[in-house]
Amino acid sequence: MVRQIAVYGSYRARLPVRQRYWKKRADGVRQRYWKQTKRKKTVEASGRYEFSGKGKDLYKAVVKAHRIVPKGFVTVSAEKFVEQSEQ
Amino acid sequence: MRRKSCPRPILGYTDTETVKLDLDNMPFKRVKYWASRISSWFRLRGFIVLKSSNNRYHVVFDRTVSWSMNVKIMGWACLLTKHKGLTGWFILQCIKQGSTLRVSPKREKPAPRVVYRYGMQGEQVRDFLNYRKLLRSILSRI
Repeated sequence: MVRQIAVYGSYRARLPVRQRYWKKRADGVRQRYWKQTKRKKTVEASGRYEFSGKGKDLYKAVVKAHRIVPKGFVTVSAEKFVEQSEQ
Repeated sequence: MRRKSCPRPILGYTDTETVKLDLDNMPFKRVKYWASRISSWFRLRGFIVLKSSNNRYHVVFDRTVSWSMNVKIMGWACLLTKHKGLTGWFILQCIKQGSTLRVSPKREKPAPRVVYRYGMQGEQVRDFLNYRKLLRSILSRI
């Protein structure tokens, strides 16, 4: 296994607020839907990144990781994370 | 009223080939005793002790080992020391399949600093310290 940098702890991110609404279907059932509003809320969540790679990529990945909340436990190479952080 | 503090992610060093121990709530004398005992029993050549906060220490050993050997050494240490904190940390590392030690500051705790060196330090200890230097340079630029 290569050496990795672990970035963990709590993160604060600004996420769009989702709003629920109901619509009556043709068969009479009241169905619940969600829509994404323009409002944003601050969310605190914990997660963990494991980055592997070289100095410059690691630096860029750590800086980027500050802003993006990981979904659980994410092991990724720093180069890939810098290129495709949204995924 | 709840005060909102600004969360800062913590940086750590993870790998499978270095034997590391996280000894919380243990006096320095006992840390030194257990580190030298493990080092001599498994022929790990040398170690460094890092102080992470009051009565909390990290130990990094020098010899490169496989992950199965690493688990064996950490398990042996848990069994003999009967240390609850170390056992909890060991289980977590087994789940992750890689052992991690903190390098950056954590809330009010400062970054761990080297307080004791013993034996050879040319292999994993040197790599650990080099990586720590890299992480510190990243932290200073953030």
